[in-house]
Amino acid sequence: MLATIAARLGQMAFVMFGISVLVFLIFFATPGSDPAARIAGRNASPETVEQIRHDFGFDRALPVQYAVMMKRLFVTRDLTSFVNRGQKVIPEVLDAIPATLSLVGGAAVLWVLGSLAVGVAAAALRDTVVDRGLMILTLIGISAPVFWLGEVMNLLSQSRYHDTWLFSWVPGLGYVPLSESVGGWFKALVIPWITLAVLYIGIYGRVLRANLIEAYSEDYIRTARAKGLSPARIMLRHALRTSLLPFVTMFGLDFGALVGGAALLTEVVFGLNGVGRLTFHALQNLDLPVILATVIYASFFVVAANAVVDMLYAVIDPRVRA
Amino acid sequence: MTMRLGRAALAGAALLTTTAIAASAQTREELMEQHRGGTLRLVASAAGGTIDPQINYTAQYWQVMQLVYDGLLTFQKAGGEEGGVVVADLATEIPEPTNDGKTYVFQLRDGIKFSDGSDVGVDDVVASFQRIFKISGPTSGTFYNGIVGAEACIAAPPDCTLEGGVVGDEAARTVTINLVAPDPEFLLKISVPHAVILPAETPATDAGVTPIPGTGPYYFESYNPNESLVMSRNPHFQEWSAEAQPDGYVDRIEYGFGLTDEAQVTAVQNGQADWMFDQPPADRLNEIGTQYAEQVHVNPLTAFWYAPMNTNLPPFDDVRVRQAVNYAIDRNALVQVFGGAVLAQPVCQILPPGFPGHEDTCVYTQDPGTTWTAPDMDKARALVEESGTAGQDVTVVVEDTTVSRGVGTYLQSVLTDLGYNASVNAISSNIQFTYIQNTNNNVQISVSQWYQDYPAASNFLNVLLSCASFHPGSDASVNISGYCNPDLDARMQAAMDLAVTDPEAANAEWAKIDQAFMAEAPVAPLFTPKAIDFLSTRVGNYVFSNQYKWVMSEAWVQ
Amino acid sequence: MSLPSEPVLAPAAEVAGSGPSRPAEGRGPWRTAVRRLRRNRSAMVSLAVLLAVAALTLLAPAYAGWLGIDPFRSNLAGTTVIDGQSVPVMEPSTTGLGLGVTPIGPTWDLGGYLLGADNQGRDVAARLLYGGRNSLLIAGSATALCLVLATLVGLVAGYMGGIVDMVLSRILDVLWAFPVYLLAISLSIVLLTSAFTIGPVTITAGSLLLPIGIIGVIYVPYVARPIRARVLTLRQSEFVLAAIGLGLPTGRILRKDVLPNLLPTLIVFVPILLALAITTESALSYLSIGVQPPDASWGTIIQDGQTLLYSRPWVALAPGLAIVVTVLALNVLGDAVRDALDARGHGR
Repeated sequence: MLATIAARLGQMAFVMFGISVLVFLIFFATPGSDPAARIAGRNASPETVEQIRHDFGFDRALPVQYAVMMKRLFVTRDLTSFVNRGQKVIPEVLDAIPATLSLVGGAAVLWVLGSLAVGVAAAALRDTVVDRGLMILTLIGISAPVFWLGEVMNLLSQSRYHDTWLFSWVPGLGYVPLSESVGGWFKALVIPWITLAVLYIGIYGRVLRANLIEAYSEDYIRTARAKGLSPARIMLRHALRTSLLPFVTMFGLDFGALVGGAALLTEVVFGLNGVGRLTFHALQNLDLPVILATVIYASFFVVAANAVVDMLYAVIDPRVRA
Repeated sequence: MTMRLGRAALAGAALLTTTAIAASAQTREELMEQHRGGTLRLVASAAGGTIDPQINYTAQYWQVMQLVYDGLLTFQKAGGEEGGVVVADLATEIPEPTNDGKTYVFQLRDGIKFSDGSDVGVDDVVASFQRIFKISGPTSGTFYNGIVGAEACIAAPPDCTLEGGVVGDEAARTVTINLVAPDPEFLLKISVPHAVILPAETPATDAGVTPIPGTGPYYFESYNPNESLVMSRNPHFQEWSAEAQPDGYVDRIEYGFGLTDEAQVTAVQNGQADWMFDQPPADRLNEIGTQYAEQVHVNPLTAFWYAPMNTNLPPFDDVRVRQAVNYAIDRNALVQVFGGAVLAQPVCQILPPGFPGHEDTCVYTQDPGTTWTAPDMDKARALVEESGTAGQDVTVVVEDTTVSRGVGTYLQSVLTDLGYNASVNAISSNIQFTYIQNTNNNVQISVSQWYQDYPAASNFLNVLLSCASFHPGSDASVNISGYCNPDLDARMQAAMDLAVTDPEAANAEWAKIDQAFMAEAPVAPLFTPKAIDFLSTRVGNYVFSNQYKWVMSEAWVQ
Repeated sequence: MSLPSEPVLAPAAEVAGSGPSRPAEGRGPWRTAVRRLRRNRSAMVSLAVLLAVAALTLLAPAYAGWLGIDPFRSNLAGTTVIDGQSVPVMEPSTTGLGLGVTPIGPTWDLGGYLLGADNQGRDVAARLLYGGRNSLLIAGSATALCLVLATLVGLVAGYMGGIVDMVLSRILDVLWAFPVYLLAISLSIVLLTSAFTIGPVTITAGSLLLPIGIIGVIYVPYVARPIRARVLTLRQSEFVLAAIGLGLPTGRILRKDVLPNLLPTLIVFVPILLALAITTESALSYLSIGVQPPDASWGTIIQDGQTLLYSRPWVALAPGLAIVVTVLALNVLGDAVRDALDARGHGR
């Protein structure tokens, strides 16, 4: 057991290292990415640009620059941004984590519960109006781009109907820390939660439905029915369990990616200062230190989430030998 | 200057503010008693970079630097064109240059303190000027290289002493600045934030996010570029000159970052914010112009949007093609892209309207005269045919902002109409500006803007089109067209020399130089934008300065 | 609650391998499936809808020609006729301060600007049709590519196990954690400076191979990992174990026993991937990879509509609806295909 965990950790480190190297190379392979002139300022004289290039070490060999940056990121932990000079990257990322965790955590609760309800209902009431209706709703949820849905929610809740009873409780856009006000934290996040969850309810609901329908044709369900178990019990305790495998797999992928900052468009639209938004700005500004930090942070969560999911397989479906 | 404004805009003209406190006959003391206090909440989509006043080169932060720092001289905190007038700030008065215009002796005021309580002394002034070079500030090689000793400083920044250039006399409390040659723009150059006076012990590195004490009515209390910039009242501030650095009404200014432009408009509408930095997006303009008209102020900017054409690459190495582009562009259509005739005006010259040296002329229109009327497609097509370049590939490089994309898409359409195989490509705003400057990237045509640093014609013509601004293979080559004309260079130098003795004649000469450049058409001027200030209902006493835009210290919230 | 309660037909000995030699009617399983499909009304309706969508997008040039416009040409100064009156396509605001210019809204008149104009004054309806071509081509190809790659990877990783599984899974991890936006930004600038050639194919920033390739690859982990999980389960099922026991070659087991049981999972992913592909394509073209202005795709029209959301919401709604209709039709058809192919006869 310990050996597997250690091996997995080793692989994780390898993946993170690999990605950081790739990011570094992509950055320097991009024409126009050289930060010296951008740091030096608009219309700086060539001497100024050269001086900046030297001060920041951009004239050194790439492997040296990579090593220096990694050292400053992990060892001395004082790596600073290219764009917001003087701002330390690690505290920046750490400060942004609560907003992302709040957003993604809440949305995950919503979408898991929602998709379970939708998937079970659609499979149980297969081919009825309910099933058809749910199918249409879930497909609309999948087809609506998150950035569009978010802006529409803002249009309705902040602008058009802000003064009606429906949305007057909605506070201004932005993240309210839990430590500051629980009520404020909750109210500020309700609409972002719904926006983010809609897409995933659509996906997971459909996948669950398909898997449940397939599970019903399996032998062990026939056995359960022959044993005289109630339909509800069959559905919830037997069919659901084995249908959860792909569900949990995808959840690991999505949750890991989202915690790592994949919800960047949602965070931007709702003004939440999370890791996703940080990543977004860093990418737009080609701010290498922040990009490196956020990518390494993201890849850690992706790999960790997948590792946890793999370990859960044996628990969920005993037929799988991990 | 003729403004092509529609009927509706006349209603808006009533809101075009150009005067200072003309509201009532109350004195400033009375107003201060009545309205002092409160917190001003500002919003922007992103922070503006470093809060080191000697490095930051963004319009966003120059607007707040004026509240926190002072130089020997500064631009008057007044409305409209009055805002471009230089007045004495930390110096007692503006000195007359001596020694054939090469020496200025500034008498330092007494009794002014930094926000950390220390007194402002001659050593602080000398150290601040040295610091400009020690930190390799963006304008150290362009604005301040005329100071004696500057060349040595630029070559070896850490050891900068400006020997013989900036000399302090403790006993007489004066600072003497010696220039290599007379420079009529020098007083303008030391009025910008890059030349403010900081405590002598300020470290000679980019301050980044660490606030530096200043002498203004506010000081930077905290700065987190992902969250907000907070300014509070400077406890050691005592107003010494209302025109140079007036005391502020509000007690605190909170500048929050992170809302999209749509969200900012909604925030101001809902009263959650008092002002938004970004320009309102196109689909909200009508809304705020009708339902929130009393909260909107529109003011002209001394700036222009233009399309530099690479004069060293085909097809734009042929002057006929460049002229054809100028003839073919429907500048009214671009005005639509920007938000309508109230917000932008077509231009066909480099110097913007209202700028010293500007004279209305327009050659590239259907009836050449003083203003642009309509595009002349026939002439444009004839020129393209003459040049024989039709069918070539052309790529327009723009920023990924909505307006820039819109302008680029339109230009692609025009170039296709002219017979080229045109495409448009948007890249991140943060790198587009340096990307289009570097000749290694072979950018044929792009879309860019230029805003004034200070009101002088050379700030546009000499900076954008002189041979000295063209550095092949460098990211910092702001003569994006790569246009080097030694004759015009000489004329510009002559005009700058003439300005020492006869500014009027110099401006007339600048106007002619502007026309001479446009005859060669290295760029296609597009339009000059106006700035929109959208304020919440509680903000009072709005003053707009041509130099620094909305003067925040003049506003009150209660 | 109603559960499929038909008697279960015993699976005709799949273990022995089912070739085309079926008893009784002499029809193969595929022909039986097609017959079942044809009898499914909703499947036929959705097939018709899909064909209609495809036909409409192919007829885009005809529509634009009939309207007499070029939907890729900026029309900022243009005018159009509504109710006999000539109005500018981009209407300046005439009330209040006169700020802003608004494109005309939907005229609901097939003769011009049916869905209104976008912020360059172009006809949205015509662009919608042209956009469908790009969207369907890119999304369809990317989905196909993704499913093929994911099935391969998931099959091999799940069935082989061991080192092969470990290496493949880590590659999937790298792929899923990879910052695609960074790659896209970087690629768009690299290609802006110089196009690159692979063999006979020149790739510029506008090449549609780029979004197809990128989308097809980045979603592989999303499909491959559930496939792998399914394969891990199937590997322990009795008919696979029996096949292994019989000494059948691995390739045959994978093809005849494992793969058909993956079909339901794959089919459910088709409409999901299609919708995700269209949205991702929109993000990529925003970063200047793939569909370049003034060309259109449903995703780029949605992007254009974002800037007009508060004044002309139809510009963003119309392509969204088009996506929903297409994905819905595909989904109904997919479900019906799965039912028709159901070897155990649990379909209708």
